Amino acid sequence: MFSKAENSAAKNFWYSSIFWLIISMLAGLVVAIKQINPNFLGGVPWLSYGRIRPIHTNGVLFAWLSMTYIAALFYMIPKLLRTPLWSERMGNITCFLWNILIILAVITLASGITTGVEYAELILPLDIYVAVGVAMVAINVFMTIAKREEKQLYVSIWYFVGSLLWLPLVYVVGNVPSQLIGGAPQANMNWFYGHNAIGLWFTTVGIGQIYYLLPKLTGKPLYSHKLSLIGFWTIATFYVWNGPHHLVNAPIPVWLMKAGIIPSILLIIPVWTVLANVVGTMKGAWHKVSEDVGLKFIITGSIFYLLACLQGPFQSLMTVSAVVKYTQWVVGHAHMAPFAAFSFVSFAAIYYAIPRITGRQLYSKSLQNWHYWFSLLGFIIFAFSLWIAGIIQGFSWINGDPFTESLVVIKPLLVARAVGGTMMILAQFFFAYNIFKTVTTGARLETKKSMAA
Amino acid sequence: MFEKNTWSIVFASVFLFMVGVFATIILPFLDDEMITPTANAELRNYEPGSPEALGRQVYIREGCNTCHTQVVRPVKADLNQNLGPVSQPGDYVYDKPHLWGSNRTGPDLMWVGVRWNEQWQKEHLLDPRSLVPDSIMPSYDYLSEEDLNNLVAYLMSLRPAQ
Repeated sequence: MFSKAENSAAKNFWYSSIFWLIISMLAGLVVAIKQINPNFLGGVPWLSYGRIRPIHTNGVLFAWLSMTYIAALFYMIPKLLRTPLWSERMGNITCFLWNILIILAVITLASGITTGVEYAELILPLDIYVAVGVAMVAINVFMTIAKREEKQLYVSIWYFVGSLLWLPLVYVVGNVPSQLIGGAPQANMNWFYGHNAIGLWFTTVGIGQIYYLLPKLTGKPLYSHKLSLIGFWTIATFYVWNGPHHLVNAPIPVWLMKAGIIPSILLIIPVWTVLANVVGTMKGAWHKVSEDVGLKFIITGSIFYLLACLQGPFQSLMTVSAVVKYTQWVVGHAHMAPFAAFSFVSFAAIYYAIPRITGRQLYSKSLQNWHYWFSLLGFIIFAFSLWIAGIIQGFSWINGDPFTESLVVIKPLLVARAVGGTMMILAQFFFAYNIFKTVTTGARLETKKSMAA
Repeated sequence: MFEKNTWSIVFASVFLFMVGVFATIILPFLDDEMITPTANAELRNYEPGSPEALGRQVYIREGCNTCHTQVVRPVKADLNQNLGPVSQPGDYVYDKPHLWGSNRTGPDLMWVGVRWNEQWQKEHLLDPRSLVPDSIMPSYDYLSEEDLNNLVAYLMSLRPAQ
């Protein structure tokens, strides 16, 4: 189980992540259906809405995305540094422990054992467990960097190193001292955590992966190294300030709101650097998008990253927030970065790496295409339903209509959301089946050595 | 200039992070508005073991805060809904953990205690649609009698100081 074989840790993290992707998205579907039919799976305490919803959010963020990200770090960093991972065995032990962690998280959350703090629901012992897991990943990565053959650090490495420095800091600040205090300062720390987990872990490792995969898939060098560095340092400077923009108009001092809103708007700079780099690199290679589903995922993911980061600053403005805050709009927005941007990039990474690790050809290109189109169309239906529902709700409240009136009006949109969500999950079954068949019965790649670039 | 020196990347990344932490996490603790309890806060400062404190734990266990906020903002959406007095940072000094919420799948509960009586709250928890036909709240009929009574006591305590 704790193999020392090259890439085995990355492979095991990737396989686990796909399993948890399906489980945590199914939990998401359950809560979507419960909003249409509140008695769905009713009467069972551990299947109640308030307990399944944190399983969905924590599952997607800690099990699926974080595990697929760790796999990407374990696969890409050795390649970029022309140095084997410091310890495959430690990587495999980390993978085993991480899976146990997720199982414990699901059990505690289903039992209603929770801190009650959104996105930081795991209780203190599990928080310490997470910190140990992240430390094991960081040690493995930093030791690999210390022993590297390649002296030049490609920009993806910068993003990966930054992420591994910030994640433990963000996690500890968001989960440990905040349990000791309460009230408005805790709410403020809650959103520091909620926003920076996205900004300084999911975003930065995601961009690192885009910068790794794009040159590989197009056969062209990255358009501008300088742009990517400007992106890195502007993220490092502005992202950490963004937490308070989640509490615009809420009971916190106005200076604190402004301290959150201004850097939110400045975040358009790093987003622009990423998109300029993607478009620059793609110049002369756009025709490849129609042939390569992996590239489709990356380009679409990058576009959704741009959209998410235009929507974010827009929502943080006080007047806009006064309409859309607390409505379903926010739910639509919150799915864009983790699903349509960074899950898409991660899908591309898995399609790229698994054949190279296992030496087997992808089982079915048409299933891969189904995965792409169902993910994309499902998400578009899902997100637009919620955005529209949110605007309707926002103006209904401003009108002073009774609360339930807005619920009646948006009900068809909630049904559409569940339909879109079902398509998103169906897509992941195509994905999981395709990877499973690739690994078990895929045709052997003859030129394995030359593929392992 | 940094390309070959990992330590300078490490140092600069952590330094920039700490500047942001100082400004948005540490400084708010020095703002009196954030940490001075109001009369409302005193009402929310429950005796440990009291029905209200136990009910609050049920509220957290069942994840009520995933659908209900406890924040009234000075904006039309809240004022026109007659949610009650606008909430102040100091109202929450003893709220541990905070239960502000981020989504109103159901209405705001900041001052729900003045809106309905105990009888209504209890019946509503057991069978929401018998009282509010269009409600999408699940039935909490699986709660024990004790949990139910504590939860109602907590909800009834959510009211402004006179």
